[in-house]
Amino acid sequence: MDRFKLRKAEPKDVPDILRLIKELAKYEDMEDQVILTEKDLLEDGFGDHPFYHCIVAEVPSEKQSNNGPVVIGFAMYYFTYDPWIGKLLYLEDFFVMEEYRGFGIGSEILKLLSHTAVKTRCSSMHFIVAEGNQASIEFYKRRGAADLSLEEGWRLFKIDRSSLLKMSSGPEE
Amino acid sequence: MHFKVRAAAKEDCKDISRMIMELAVYENMPDQVKTSHEDLERDGFSPNPFYECLIAEVPDEHKTKDGYTVVGYALYFYTYSTWKGRSVYMEDLYVMPDFRGKGIGTGLMAKVAQVGVEKQCVRLQLSVLDWNKPSLDFYIAKGAEDLTAKEGWHFLRFHGQTLDTLAKEAPKD
Repeated sequence: MDRFKLRKAEPKDVPDILRLIKELAKYEDMEDQVILTEKDLLEDGFGDHPFYHCIVAEVPSEKQSNNGPVVIGFAMYYFTYDPWIGKLLYLEDFFVMEEYRGFGIGSEILKLLSHTAVKTRCSSMHFIVAEGNQASIEFYKRRGAADLSLEEGWRLFKIDRSSLLKMSSGPEE
Repeated sequence: MHFKVRAAAKEDCKDISRMIMELAVYENMPDQVKTSHEDLERDGFSPNPFYECLIAEVPDEHKTKDGYTVVGYALYFYTYSTWKGRSVYMEDLYVMPDFRGKGIGTGLMAKVAQVGVEKQCVRLQLSVLDWNKPSLDFYIAKGAEDLTAKEGWHFLRFHGQTLDTLAKEAPKD
């Protein structure tokens, strides 16, 4: 793998992004949980109020045989806020197709994200990893990541839409 | 006790800053707060806000001994799940100790839930420290599920020096 390029995603990349999201979900054994569509991704990433930003990794099309994909990796991120330290960059998804791993593409994506974080005045880059995903945990720890769940005891919770509806229709004060 | 939940205005940042510090003290980490009320004003009330905030206020006759009528806040922002789409993340929920047990926390959270539902969010997420039993009980009673326990999710981060080191190696623009 001698050449690859990292660039900001554009609306035309949405089909590739969805394809890679599904591949990542398959890698995490949760393929059937992806309910997002290309229309959602287009509206939510390239509309009036973007909910995410995306970087894609592509290989030159002339290197591809059998009309293989040109976009072979992506990272999706957005900005969050810590009231103690301010802006943070939150890495939501990060994936390189299996046949393109081991060439440093993931490392380069991570460095670009870190550079983006520093450039946009973020104090920290946060993300979550499933404890069963040892390969990813090692990848991040080798580069200096700290596990806040282990070190400080943070636990992630979710409240689904049905419970949200119940809460939001409770008695008015 | 009668109370009102409303969207924070720029002028409320001094009160929000005060309560952020009180919450940090409750979590045994007061020296970690680096944001000032000016940072909160810039980051929450510019054309591209990084968070939204709701505050709870009581009538003048119930003000605190120091004269404050703003007695609680909920700070949240929007995130994105590549599987399910728009989400809301509640970063901080705090009610001053003398005003707990009166439904103010529930009222604040109900309003965050309502905002989330209006913005078509599929879920609300938050994180809690594993020793914080009153908060764990409060959220579980509202339907929260512990994803760290259930699915093994851990929070990781690149912070300070480790972030700068990665950033320096990024490909030049």
